[in-house]
Amino acid sequence: MNLQNKEGWLYVMPLLFWLAFAICVPLYIAVELSFFDIKIIGTEGKFVGLKNYIKSLKSSKFPRALSNSALWVIANAITQTFFAFLIALTLNKNFKGVKIATNWIILSFIIPTVVIVVIWKLMLSSSSGIINSLLIQFSIIEKPIGFFSNSTSAFVSLVLINSWRWSPFLALIILSGLKSINQEIYDASKIDGTSFFSEFIYITLPQLKGVLFVLGLVGTLLSFNVFDIIWLITKGGPSNATTTLPLLIYETAFTKFRISQAAALSVITSLILLTFSIVFIKVMGKDNDD
Amino acid sequence: MMTKKNYIIAMPLTIIFVVFFFPFFWIISSAFKSPQEIIQKNSTIIPKSFTFEHFNKILFSSDFLIYLKNSLIVSFVSMLIAVFLSILAAYGLHKLKFYGNKLVERGLLITYAFPGVILLIPMYLMLGKMGLLNSYFALILINVTFSTPFAVWMLKAFFKTIPIDIEEAAMIDGASRLTVLFKIIFPLALPGIASVSIFCFIISWTEYMFASIMISGDDLKTLPVGLAGIVGQYQIDWGFLLAGATLASLPVIILFVFVGKYFVSGLTDGAVKS
Repeated sequence: MNLQNKEGWLYVMPLLFWLAFAICVPLYIAVELSFFDIKIIGTEGKFVGLKNYIKSLKSSKFPRALSNSALWVIANAITQTFFAFLIALTLNKNFKGVKIATNWIILSFIIPTVVIVVIWKLMLSSSSGIINSLLIQFSIIEKPIGFFSNSTSAFVSLVLINSWRWSPFLALIILSGLKSINQEIYDASKIDGTSFFSEFIYITLPQLKGVLFVLGLVGTLLSFNVFDIIWLITKGGPSNATTTLPLLIYETAFTKFRISQAAALSVITSLILLTFSIVFIKVMGKDNDD
Repeated sequence: MMTKKNYIIAMPLTIIFVVFFFPFFWIISSAFKSPQEIIQKNSTIIPKSFTFEHFNKILFSSDFLIYLKNSLIVSFVSMLIAVFLSILAAYGLHKLKFYGNKLVERGLLITYAFPGVILLIPMYLMLGKMGLLNSYFALILINVTFSTPFAVWMLKAFFKTIPIDIEEAAMIDGASRLTVLFKIIFPLALPGIASVSIFCFIISWTEYMFASIMISGDDLKTLPVGLAGIVGQYQIDWGFLLAGATLASLPVIILFVFVGKYFVSGLTDGAVKS
């Protein structure tokens, strides 16, 4: 080990100090808060030990939000994988305008989430949305559907909207993985007469293992964290059908004003995510070395 | 005649185009429709009634310009700080391999996926005690925190492509490391720095959750919070909202016209070269 390279720490330090201040200090405060019974921010409370944790785990809202979150992550993973591969495999072909298409496909990712909410609230509106209007014109339905008023359709719509936002971003990362695959492997398989699907499953996917590992982990955590889109469209409704854990925490803290309980929920959530990450890395990362 | 090969590309391309681009077109076109045409049952694709009334209203008789100013200030300052910190950190991590650098690198990626909502409550409390709620600083603190981990990761790919010889040659000539970083590495990594800058700007430009809690004064609200206020109203003024949504997307789109291609390659290179 070269001693001179300790200099590296000097360059990393400013960022680490910033992150320590913005993440570690608040995390410590959150853990501390979770052992008191503070309701409104700024008021004092007394030490209650694990009471907030027991209350959180026993309430009916927590298991509901946890299962909503699990369903949310799985549904998003499936939808986004489909769209991301559709985009990436298409953009990996040679056609006129492929460069422009590749640069602009990410448009849905760079605009504010609030704008996405506006777009899809109007697109799916029951009174004036173009989707309902088209479905009626083609006689697929007779009366407009209230996409956000029924539990199942609200959940499905939100998954699709969130996937609309993230798929192009994931597609670009998959695309760069595809471009780094040695073309000779494909050429060899062409001689052997491999079909598109077996080519995809036996050559493309295994070659993308490294990229897919990172996407699987970071993507899961990122979709777990989604807050804006759900909150601004359904506020967790109808009847809590779209209340995921981040929404439950936010609601507990800022509309029910139970700060300590929200802090306990935050700590529980962090532990769940930490466990997931460790298991994921242990199980999936076995044959993935840096 | 259409060959089979063309067909294989044309079909998915059409689906992608309709799903991912048409909504933008429809929203922008609707922003020019009269209020009656926007809410009529049979939606039109090209506006029959062409009007600038919504844009007039949002620009000249609402707080939009104040929100725009706030968003620009917060995003620009966040971007500068985030890019500065990330360049230093990426240089330290990837050029000067030091003991523990792998650990720091992994730690940073975990931070990227860290749920913001968990920090929201304690951060509110902490900033409240420091008297920093309702300030640009509160938002900048958050934006830099959530953009730097990924920025460092993106910069890695760019720094790796710069040959170490150039640096060593300069060091022999007596230049200090900081001089080398800013006079030699910086210009070479400029495309990478451009793409990282856009990334940091976008993260700040779109942030909603923290801004909605940390800022209570109307004069300090950012665009997402201002727009969300209209979305939440019982009777939504669609024309007004659509004009606002169009204008709020414009700055990032303009930025993207100029540096989009660096952004897209910068975003994806890190995944492969890591």
